[in-house]
Amino acid sequence: MSRQLGLYFVLAIVFVAGLLFVLNQLAGIMSTATQQAQAVDFTNNSISAVLREEPPQLDSSKATDSTSGLVLGHIMEGLLRMDLQDRLGPAIAERWEVTPTHATFWLRDDAKWSDGEPITAADFIFAWQLALKPETGSEYASLLYSIENAEAINSGKLAASELGVSAPNPQTLVVKLARPIAFFDKLVVFPTFLPIREDFYNATQGRFGSDAEELLYSGPYVIKRWVHSSNLLLERNPHYWDSSRGKLAQINFAYITSDATATLNFFKDERIALARLQAENLTEALRLKWPIRRFADGTVFYLEFNHRDDRVSRNLNFRKAIQHSLDMEELVYKVTKLPGYLPGKSLFPEWLIGVEKSLREEYPASTVSVDAVKARAYLALAKEELGLTEFPEITLLTSDNPVSNVQSEWLQEVLKQTLGLTIKIDKQIFKQRLAKMSSGDFGLLLGGWGPDYNDPLTFGDLFASWNLNNRGRYNSAKMDAFIATAQNAVETKDRMMAFGDIQQQLFDDVVILPMYERGVTYVVHPQLKGVKRRVIGAETDYTYAYIDPDA
Amino acid sequence: MSDTSWQPSPGDFAIAPQHQTADVITRPSMSYWQDAWRRLKENKRALFSLYLIIGLVMFTVAGPYLWNIDPSAQDLDQIGMAPGAERNVTVAPAYTPWYGPEDSLTYAQDNRLGLTLVGVATSQAVRLAWQAPQKGQTNYGYKIYRTLFALNDGDAFGLPLMETQNEYFEDRLDLQPTDYYYTVVALDRHGLETDQTSTIQLTVMRVITLLEAEKRGLTEDGLVKEGDQIKLALHPFGTDYLGRDMLARLIYGGQVSLFIGIFAPLLYVLLGVIYGSIAGFMGGAVDQLMMRFADFAVALPFLLFMILLKVIFGIGPGESGVLPMLVAMVILLWPAPARLVRGQILQIREEGYVSASKLLGAKTDYLVFRHMIPNTMGVILVTITFQVPSAIFTEAFLSFIGMGVAPPTPSWGSMCNDGIKSMLTRPHELFFPALFISITVLAFNLLGDGLRDALDARMRNRE
Repeated sequence: MSRQLGLYFVLAIVFVAGLLFVLNQLAGIMSTATQQAQAVDFTNNSISAVLREEPPQLDSSKATDSTSGLVLGHIMEGLLRMDLQDRLGPAIAERWEVTPTHATFWLRDDAKWSDGEPITAADFIFAWQLALKPETGSEYASLLYSIENAEAINSGKLAASELGVSAPNPQTLVVKLARPIAFFDKLVVFPTFLPIREDFYNATQGRFGSDAEELLYSGPYVIKRWVHSSNLLLERNPHYWDSSRGKLAQINFAYITSDATATLNFFKDERIALARLQAENLTEALRLKWPIRRFADGTVFYLEFNHRDDRVSRNLNFRKAIQHSLDMEELVYKVTKLPGYLPGKSLFPEWLIGVEKSLREEYPASTVSVDAVKARAYLALAKEELGLTEFPEITLLTSDNPVSNVQSEWLQEVLKQTLGLTIKIDKQIFKQRLAKMSSGDFGLLLGGWGPDYNDPLTFGDLFASWNLNNRGRYNSAKMDAFIATAQNAVETKDRMMAFGDIQQQLFDDVVILPMYERGVTYVVHPQLKGVKRRVIGAETDYTYAYIDPDA
Repeated sequence: MSDTSWQPSPGDFAIAPQHQTADVITRPSMSYWQDAWRRLKENKRALFSLYLIIGLVMFTVAGPYLWNIDPSAQDLDQIGMAPGAERNVTVAPAYTPWYGPEDSLTYAQDNRLGLTLVGVATSQAVRLAWQAPQKGQTNYGYKIYRTLFALNDGDAFGLPLMETQNEYFEDRLDLQPTDYYYTVVALDRHGLETDQTSTIQLTVMRVITLLEAEKRGLTEDGLVKEGDQIKLALHPFGTDYLGRDMLARLIYGGQVSLFIGIFAPLLYVLLGVIYGSIAGFMGGAVDQLMMRFADFAVALPFLLFMILLKVIFGIGPGESGVLPMLVAMVILLWPAPARLVRGQILQIREEGYVSASKLLGAKTDYLVFRHMIPNTMGVILVTITFQVPSAIFTEAFLSFIGMGVAPPTPSWGSMCNDGIKSMLTRPHELFFPALFISITVLAFNLLGDGLRDALDARMRNRE
């Protein structure tokens, strides 16, 4: 009896051991990408990197998030693109022309889809019509509104075929503009303007963009393999026309994780070639003497007030009280402590170009110095004007991430100490926050805005009374007039002057309080060269990158 | 008829002889509780745990009177300070913006770019100035780096701070009183780094302005002027990521944690006891029904209920979720003690002494209060002590995921959550709250262990 038991015992152990071995082998076969991730592989001319999130889908007409933007920047190409010096340059369009009424793009002959078919003007027309169709539900359809009839199509009043775009021949695209828009050429860099081929789109039967096989590529890379939530392998597109891009044979996004510590460890183990640094692991990076780089990602963060009639923040003196209590330099230098962050002075970040120099050099932003006595005086004035005996609790809407948590707690304490205001912190995930922002369910809001195209207007029209991204519903005829000038003037000088006026109006009326311009600190594998970080488009651009084995 | 002629006479009766007194074996009469207490006292571990728990309760209750510091006050001069860190600080004039060096500045001669520290390096600002490598050479800009570690040839220069066209730079980013190595690299026309670099080493002095010193109450003796050395506020357990006093936060955090940890189990164990004893005592179909309902309650997801209750109570974002947490625990965690007590009652119901009591005509309430409850008391107390650590853990977990207390109110769990982010660089922020949770949980567990032994009636006469 006990002998039999012993036999069973041994058999069980052998079975479990065998199972473990087989499973391990299977795992090895299944997840080759992760197993073999090597930061820089010179013999195969490939690199590995990390994606922060899984792209929800890669249909360019619907893409909104930065990860999709990053992948699309590698696998797709539009009419124009930003070059290595961040200047607007030709891509599928060889040359182009923008007049107050029309924009014309002449497409190159050798631009081909990844199946070898030529890319024609019709592909752009189809993509734009698709983005505007109400049933597509594209969140960025409004970027196309400068095209004739676009707004009416998007609201369902006109058929998509009425869009003011035409193709006199397959290689020419003529856009009829709804209003004069001087920077239409800068707009078309945005992913919503990327081409989509009609017959392929229809053949996918609604699954376009959801998988590697459900995509047709126009860019320097194609997706070779897409294991959802695990890894994404890009391979050079053999039909791509421009030999100056796509030098790496393969880009292996071997991991999809937003965990900062994991990312850093991957980099340490030479599994990935580029890693973002957080404040917590900076000292470690310094100790290991990694080459650290920084760049400003172009996003501006600000404290937004709710200007609706039932809120105390509609009162100018109340807003001034807060303006005089918050020291954004203290926030950036002592609280956030992240390198590359600049204390905010204006809605317009420093990198925006004005007439000749930077916009901010041409129109310096006004600032106030922090003064608790003045702040309290303003608050007393506000109390009187609002007829309040005591201020109600104010809700601060913020996103749920370590940086915003620290900042909102700092804000809460400073406003309590200086003004005696009670602030409730309302942390929400992105979707929920967006819903609350849209419905105006907040008192104060930690908001931010990243540029969609390379023109100050991408920031400048935010606080127009008609802009849905004006979450606090700031409404001023003066501001609207300045924005109208900025939108419609054709002369750069007039437009920049309008932006200067907008900046001053934002300051005078304390519409928002600029907090900081975000910066990113990261490390790159020393053998990987030519990685471009962009403010607009793919945040990390490997299309010009190459491996230098001697470095 | 029987013969009844015999009549008893007094002579028939005699006083019985006194029995020989046997050795009396007595001991002081002891109630159940006295005995339990005696045995608990003998268990050194349990007794120590008991004192520890009393100490912890005192710490959180009396703490605020002894250590009168606002737990949400931010001391931004001492962010993330470890316990016992250097606190000396020099009083300095207020910060004024700087727009480049004076003309009279003499540049250093010992490095390529003449990189020079302007003024004194303080925690307010480090000001650097330099010159073009050759006079009249076109300026394509410079890049400034900073690091904490000495540089050897070929090392990366550290943290890039800024690219500038100016020949001066002011650093204000998170300056700590320690050594820094600053490197300035000249760029070429393409914006690439050249080999024209200079590095200087400097030591930053911690300063505070007179105004800030007054604001933080550091000038009590009144006679402080610029240039004086004073001491920054004392933080015996260090400070957290916003310069808040860890000791004060531990005290206030303990109030939340211990409140939940003690009250929630008391309430739901009480509920469970009532429920379980009814089910066990009634037996039969009622028992079946009640226990199936308990099974149902076990299957309810805790987190979901927590969220639902938050909505029902109208607890908006940014408000404390302690009350719904308490209610959710009471609603969902009673089945475990209920089952335990039911099992005990079922068992006791069949005991001989209960049957005897019944036969003697005891009523239900007498049976329950005289026989059932005292005999389950041991189990109940032990359950409570074992539920306390699990409740503290639940609170810690919920605060950890942001469902518990609202900032700036601390709790041990939320403090751990904050501390874990900087675990490698500033371990004390995680260590102390984690230590307090561990001590509390361990103390309650050991006490529960001791109580189980002490209250077990079967061990009563075992020495």
